[in-house]
Amino acid sequence: MVSGQDALLAQMRRGTLQYCVLSLLGTEERYGFDLVRALAEQDGMVTSEGTIYPLLSRLRRDGLVESSWQESTSGPPRRYYRLTEGGRTALEGFRLEWRRFRDAVDHFVERTEPS
Amino acid sequence: MSATADRLVNEYLDRLEEELADFPAARRRELVQEISAHIAEARASLENEDEASIRNLLDRIGDPADIAAEAAGPPAPEAPLPPPPAKTRGGGWDVAALVMLLVGGLILPVVGWFIGVVLLWTSETWSTGEKLLGTLLVPGGLALPLFLLTIGTSVNSCGGEVGGPITCTGGNGAGSAAAAVLVIALFVLPIAVVAYLARRRSQVAAPA
Repeated sequence: MVSGQDALLAQMRRGTLQYCVLSLLGTEERYGFDLVRALAEQDGMVTSEGTIYPLLSRLRRDGLVESSWQESTSGPPRRYYRLTEGGRTALEGFRLEWRRFRDAVDHFVERTEPS
Repeated sequence: MSATADRLVNEYLDRLEEELADFPAARRRELVQEISAHIAEARASLENEDEASIRNLLDRIGDPADIAAEAAGPPAPEAPLPPPPAKTRGGGWDVAALVMLLVGGLILPVVGWFIGVVLLWTSETWSTGEKLLGTLLVPGGLALPLFLLTIGTSVNSCGGEVGGPITCTGGNGAGSAAAAVLVIALFVLPIAVVAYLARRRSQVAAPA
C-alpha cells in the first residue's frame, strides 16, 4: 500500500465512524455491545472495539445521542443509546454531504479504464 | 480456567483505569463501566473461557492506551504554524552592516567594506533595491574619498627646495575644483545612503 494510504484510511474511518454509529441508532436504540457487534460485522470499520465507547461518550456529551439504563433479562442493567433530535439533524446533514462526496469520488475513481 | 479469565480481565481493567487516570472521575467511571459491561457480554457469548479466548477478546477491544487516546479526542488538527518569527538577527548585525559599509574600509582596507556588504545582503531588513543602493553608493564607503584625497594630495603636493621657488605639480584650477566636488560628493553620498538605510531599518523594526 502506498505510504500514507493507511493513515488516510484510518482518518476516513475515524471521521465517518460517528455517523455510522448515529445511523445505527437512527433505527433503534442499542446498548454498547450490540452496537459494537453491528459495527464490527462490517469488515474494516472497527479496529479496536473499545474505542467505540469514548466515541459514544463524546456523542452523548455533544447531545447527539442520549442514554438510559434498562433492565436486561440476561444480566445487569444495560445502558441503551438512542439518537436525539440534534443527532438526527447531524446525521441527515452528513448523509447529503456524504452522497455528494461519494458520487464525486466515484465519478473519477470508478471510471472504467480504456482497454 | 475462570480464575485465569478473571485475572486477565481485571488486569485489563486496571490498565484501563491507569490510562484514564487524567480524566475526570465521572468519565473514567463511565468508560470503565461500559467496557467492563462489554467484556461481560462478550464473555457470555464465548463457548469456552480458555485463556486464549479471553486474550483474543481483550485484543479485539484494543489497547487501553488506544481507548484513552480516543477519549482524549481526535488529535488537534495541525495548528497552523505561527508565522515564523521575523528572522531578524539581532539588530546589532544591521547596525554593524551600516557601520562597516561606511567606515569598514578604514578599519580594514577593502575587506572591512566587503564585510559590510555581506552583512547588508544577508540581512532581511532591507529590500534588494536598498541593498543595491547600499552596495553601489559608494563602493568602499568613506574609505574611497579618503583614499582619493590622499592620492590627490600627494599628486597635488607642492614642494620646493628650501629657499627655492615653490613648485606645485597638479592639474589646473578647474580640474582641482571638479575633483574637490567629486571628493565631497563621495563623502556625502555614502553617509546619506547609510543614513537612509538606517531610517528604513527603524521603519521596518517599528512599523507605524
